[in-house]
Amino acid sequence: MSNTEYKNLNSDSKQSNESIKKPRVLVAMSGGVDSSVAAALLKDQGFEVIGATMQVWNYSNNPVSEDEDCDAHGTCCSSDDVDDARWVCDQLNIPFYVLNCEDQFKAEVIDPFVESYLSGETPIPCVNCNTFLKFSHLIKKMKELDCDYLATGHYAQVVLNKSNKPLIQTSEDGHKDQTYFLFTLEQEILSKILFPVGHLDKTDVRKIAEEKKLVVAKKKDSVGICFIGSQGYKTFVEDHSTEDLHVKGEIKIYPDGDVIGKHSGLHKFTLGQRRALGVSFSEPLFVRSMDYETGELWLSREKDLYKDSVRVRDTNFFEKLSLDKELKVKLRYQHKGSACKITKISTSEISLKLTKPERSITPGQAAVFYDGDLLLGGGWIESAY
Amino acid sequence: MKRVFLDHNATTFPSKDVVKAITDFKDWGNPSSIHSSGRRARSKILQAKREIAKILGVSPGELSFTSGGSESNNSVIRGLVNRLISKGSTHIISSRSEHPSVYKTLTHIQESFPDIKVHYCPIDYKKGLDYNFLEETLKNNPVGLVSLMAANNETGEIYDIKKIRFLIEKHTLKSRRTYLHSDMVQTLGKMPFDIKDLGVDFASFSAHKFYALQGVGVLYHKKGSGFEPLITGGGQERGRRAGTENLMAIHAMGLQFNALKNLDSKLKEIESLRDYMETKIKSSIDRVMILASDRKRLCNTSLILIDSAHGETLLMNLDLMGFDVSTGAACSSGNPEPSPVLRALGLSLKEASESLRVSLGWSTTKEDIDSFVEHLVKVVEKIRSI
Repeated sequence: MSNTEYKNLNSDSKQSNESIKKPRVLVAMSGGVDSSVAAALLKDQGFEVIGATMQVWNYSNNPVSEDEDCDAHGTCCSSDDVDDARWVCDQLNIPFYVLNCEDQFKAEVIDPFVESYLSGETPIPCVNCNTFLKFSHLIKKMKELDCDYLATGHYAQVVLNKSNKPLIQTSEDGHKDQTYFLFTLEQEILSKILFPVGHLDKTDVRKIAEEKKLVVAKKKDSVGICFIGSQGYKTFVEDHSTEDLHVKGEIKIYPDGDVIGKHSGLHKFTLGQRRALGVSFSEPLFVRSMDYETGELWLSREKDLYKDSVRVRDTNFFEKLSLDKELKVKLRYQHKGSACKITKISTSEISLKLTKPERSITPGQAAVFYDGDLLLGGGWIESAY
Repeated sequence: MKRVFLDHNATTFPSKDVVKAITDFKDWGNPSSIHSSGRRARSKILQAKREIAKILGVSPGELSFTSGGSESNNSVIRGLVNRLISKGSTHIISSRSEHPSVYKTLTHIQESFPDIKVHYCPIDYKKGLDYNFLEETLKNNPVGLVSLMAANNETGEIYDIKKIRFLIEKHTLKSRRTYLHSDMVQTLGKMPFDIKDLGVDFASFSAHKFYALQGVGVLYHKKGSGFEPLITGGGQERGRRAGTENLMAIHAMGLQFNALKNLDSKLKEIESLRDYMETKIKSSIDRVMILASDRKRLCNTSLILIDSAHGETLLMNLDLMGFDVSTGAACSSGNPEPSPVLRALGLSLKEASESLRVSLGWSTTKEDIDSFVEHLVKVVEKIRSI
């Protein structure tokens, strides 16, 4: 399927000049360069732009450590970032609001994140943040503020297919593409969403920010999970859980099941991990799987990490799937994608078979499907075998 | 777009007199310098202090300039702690509906000084301040300090400070000194009072709440009510508050105090405008409640609970339409949390988050109010329909 069959909503700015009243757009601003440029571009295109930052996490109540400065925090929506977003809105002369979303963020992002680690998975909280905050809470705010659209700085594009149905397509900047985090969006809201930088390269976005002299033009990209500081996720999970919830058990070697040690919590491991396993062995061992029921941590040689069958739960698809068609699936954010075929489809679950086995397919991560550059949908990896 | 400012409990614009006083100001000098420019600056400070003292009916020596309400509140509370401990009067009475510069300071003090015990007097939004609790606590504990505000910044409710002084006198041993501090930041320009008659030992005031400048305030400390300074250094304000005085702002505040004279008819006007607004809102929006409306309130303040209309959303919509209102106390981060004060008054989280504070000012007109209500009705209808 080629791009040309689709009409890109973001580059179609003329719509804004057709009506007398300017269309009003709420821009979710993180204080980073992408959402700042998104706001600037929309303003240029004639929208009435309102900036908003979700205050999701109280960094002052959850210090990383006393001797670290603010830069040590993740750089999404922290207090300094709120000020950056405010500054950009001042530069653009648009209204700016801080929305307190701490409770929702804790309930929908932090708690599930901790629970997922405790049950032996490796979660990606950014999807929940998109599902429950950006594209649910902010959609509501968008309506309440009489806005016609909600815009974010995601590297993704909303396009129309032949029957004018809005769909999500990957970004022009393949390296920055963030469609992986957007598979849970509801079809009904796609027509209300704008991704103003989705058709641009990151370097172009920075160039625009510099041309417009936005204060965030040279700001570093955010990396990692915004609420995890340099102390790492293990400490975070432990700080947010009681010890009785830590699933302990034996360390076994695949496939024979020889016990070679004990571990003090499945949350300390991720699949494919080689270092800090707490055991010594004659050859390199890696985490192959975890069993939440028994608490067993299975290690194996590298060759045994590869699997080709995956079960996926809680799926959401924008387009109907067919069993025989070869699709591309991304099994983690930075994954380039592998060819696969769907082997089974039920209401909210699917099974798939990869053309080539993949290393360390990790429960808790998302399996996101593409047909060419079109996002079909996805779900959460339940298990791989 | 014409903007209508209805958030005068957060701040007020500087009056024409204040703006003129600043632009005309020429007496630059360090008030502590001995030379002529220093002396001129010193004269300005003294002149301002004398004017303020005259209007408040106190003596100039009972006043110290500070950076505002928060500093004044901190100065009194922190500055008394060691004295309270040394005298064995280690119990403090306050309430959770105080401004954060009082209740957070008290929380911190209780954490840092294990000897200190703070009692929080219940204030219910239906019944007001629980004077019985106050009385019982005074009767049964060695209370060294009572810190209660004269008027609540969010609901506008006026508390009976004179009665509190009476209860202190009634229940405290003659040998015990129980200080009465009142955060009176919301009173100036909104209600008449006689500070001597109230019987307070300390009172905090802030200039920007009555059309002077931000960053300056005045602390009243009754003669013989000493406290350790919060800021030590050059010995300004007779050692009570170090740091070069905010000369121009103090001068402007002194002038603005004169505008507080003969305000009675103005305050009545504001009150009837506020009542007109409340009646209009109640008749055009259903499921509305006005807090503390059956008790004594500041003439300009209305705390409105609007069922199924989130305060934050109301505020943003009204802002986009040109109206400045508030969902509670303006806090430094601009992060609109449901007001802890309203929670302390016994409102549920939902009720507290569906609140809107409207505070009128000296220049608010009937047209402003009509236009505001008209827009509020539209916004509430829209939000409720989503």
